[in-house]
Amino acid sequence: MSIVKKPKAISNWYLPGILSGMGFTFKKLIKNLFNPKGMPTLNYPEEHYQYGPRFKGNHVLTVKKDGSLRCTACMLCATNCPADCIKIVASEHEDPTVEKYPISYEIDMLRCVFCGYCEEACPVDAIRMGPEWQTPALNGGNFTYDIQHLAYRPNLKGGIQSRLDDEERHKAGI
Amino acid sequence: MLKCKINGKEMEVPQGTSIIEAFKLSGQDIAHYCWHPGLSVAGVCRLCMVEIEGQPKLQIACNTMVQDGMVINNNSETVKDVVRWGLDFHLINHPLDCPICDQAGECGLQDQYMQFGKYDPEMAERKVKKRKVVDLGPTVVLDSERCILCSRCVRFTDEVSKTHELGIFNRGDRSEIGTFKDRPLDNKYSLNTVDICPVGALTSKDFRFRQRVWYLKTAESICPGCSTGCNVNVYYNEEGLWRVRPRHNPEVNGHWMCDEGRDTYKYVNRKARLLEAKMGHRDNWTLESPGAAAKAAGQKLREVIEAHGPESVALVLTGQYTTEELETAVQKFKGDLGSSLVYHWVNNPESFEDFDGILLRGDKNPNTKGLLKILEQEGVSLTWKDLESRVQQGQIKTVVVAGPENQSVFPDFVEKVNLLAGVENVVWLTACPHSVLDSREKATWQIPLKTYIEKAGSFINHQGKTQSFEVGTVIVSSALTLAEAATLLVGQELEVSSGDRLAELTRKKNFFTETRGAL
Ligand code: SF4
Ligand code: SF4
Ligand code: SF4
Ligand code: SF4
Ligand code: FES
Repeated sequence: MSIVKKPKAISNWYLPGILSGMGFTFKKLIKNLFNPKGMPTLNYPEEHYQYGPRFKGNHVLTVKKDGSLRCTACMLCATNCPADCIKIVASEHEDPTVEKYPISYEIDMLRCVFCGYCEEACPVDAIRMGPEWQTPALNGGNFTYDIQHLAYRPNLKGGIQSRLDDEERHKAGI
Repeated sequence: MLKCKINGKEMEVPQGTSIIEAFKLSGQDIAHYCWHPGLSVAGVCRLCMVEIEGQPKLQIACNTMVQDGMVINNNSETVKDVVRWGLDFHLINHPLDCPICDQAGECGLQDQYMQFGKYDPEMAERKVKKRKVVDLGPTVVLDSERCILCSRCVRFTDEVSKTHELGIFNRGDRSEIGTFKDRPLDNKYSLNTVDICPVGALTSKDFRFRQRVWYLKTAESICPGCSTGCNVNVYYNEEGLWRVRPRHNPEVNGHWMCDEGRDTYKYVNRKARLLEAKMGHRDNWTLESPGAAAKAAGQKLREVIEAHGPESVALVLTGQYTTEELETAVQKFKGDLGSSLVYHWVNNPESFEDFDGILLRGDKNPNTKGLLKILEQEGVSLTWKDLESRVQQGQIKTVVVAGPENQSVFPDFVEKVNLLAGVENVVWLTACPHSVLDSREKATWQIPLKTYIEKAGSFINHQGKTQSFEVGTVIVSSALTLAEAATLLVGQELEVSSGDRLAELTRKKNFFTETRGAL
């Protein structure tokens, strides 16, 4: 047992300690009341913290110029994912220059550890970690995000453009 | 025997061995695309360069024979440099879009350019665009851009299938593989071209984009498609089987297998299988676990024997089971039930002896020889006619049928079920369901059995060669093997297998979590 008990006579003199603590608290309270800007904390949820541009939040699937998915269903992200939470079903695209595309792309967000390895593995900039991180839901909320959500959710406003486009690649003769 | 030295290793090889074969014998790596041990030598890819002491220029290993006292190496800087620049020529027009390409993960070109660091070709010119997703025939798709013109596929159709459908058309950097007008690549061995294509130029329609190859595990097995018994590798994951490819065995199938055999994975997967036992008759089925259903059927069998004697029960066997299973089934039936009525169901007697000159045989059962051996050993020599007459006379009250695993090669399936329509009880052991069984009017037990990939045992092929195989994976875990079903049918209990086996199976099931995501 390593609990040290102080002699009783000393612990009886608790009042000065309490008072000096209260004094400190009230000093801060009054200071903050008159100068709210100086507060180091945020008034969440009215105010949000602005994370850096490299913050790894919810995934975004990028799109090509014509608005179709950039993803080629190569499954490198799924292979690299340590949480094994990406599920892709590939299919043959009718355009032979595109060849392969995902008919289903699902990320189980509850398993995802937001490591960003999927983003790193992607050879065509088709998946990125976005800035969003507050995605609460009520009981029974759907945390398996599908293509519709990953690429075309309303706040993406029609989709994020990929840096690499097949069309440009073909024009450049690569 | 000729003495030679390969990368400093002393070797003795027989007369007439090429240098590349000597390399393979010595177990050392050598880059190559166009050479294939099952085809003639073309010498077009120029990647198998070796340095031979005393010769001023490098030589290609595939087309140079070993001579006595040769000192050969392929690890000098000169050789490496030549291979590196040879690769660059291959990559001039190659799209290098491995992420989309279905060959990635098992591609010779990918391995080689990664090894030599040629991630980008050094040509400034535009790549020549060629046809993509060309439909060559019912089974194969061609991507001309990815083709490195090794001519293996052309040589295959010329030398092995002898159907001559493929050719190289045009010249220079416009050359591409193609078929002639109205002559698609349509033969019984067409998918071998996909296997031997060292890059992703030829892909199988059936497998294309379905799975990434690095997700699949391999197990060795024997093709159950016909009595040739080709040695195969099956590729599976936890969802089931995805493809079957040949495994080299010079005595049986060489490097090849037929397209029909590659389809045998389809009836093995859950979608096609009978998952639970069904007891009852038309429109009145109850589902039961396979073991319990087999016990219930066994109860019925013994009741019938008590009432009508052992000669009222018959066993029908097909050559689709392993020798061990068949032996147990016949022994249990004769020994424990006391009935000697065991029959051999021959699916296609007219074409039984057919042979197409390459691999395919008319006998679509992997183990007809094994079944005949067991029947002879147990002294059974009844003909199918005998069963027919007994059924017609109503002497037979119960039939146990070890039905075909692969129903598609039994054209007389419906006919045989109808023949037994009047029999009071039928115990049909089968891996797959069939609508005609579901519409039987009299009492029926449909008991799910395991397929070839889920059990260990041996097949005896048409040459009389015994080929054994191990459990590859388990797809319907509750299904029984024929031996287990026979044991339960005669009223005995199954021996619980040892813990090791169980641990091994669970380990296999969990391979995904073990291997994926390992950083
Ligand atoms: S962030 Fe990491 S855990 Fe999440 S999907 Fe991507 S690779 Fe998987
Ligand atoms: S997101 Fe990128 S890495 Fe993942 S499958 Fe699509 S293209 Fe491949
Ligand atoms: S053929 Fe090989 S090297 Fe070429 S794209 Fe396919 S995987 Fe990559
Ligand atoms: S299609 Fe494949 S096997 Fe045929 S020549 Fe081209 S690379 Fe070789
Ligand atoms: S393997 Fe020797 S030249 Fe192609």
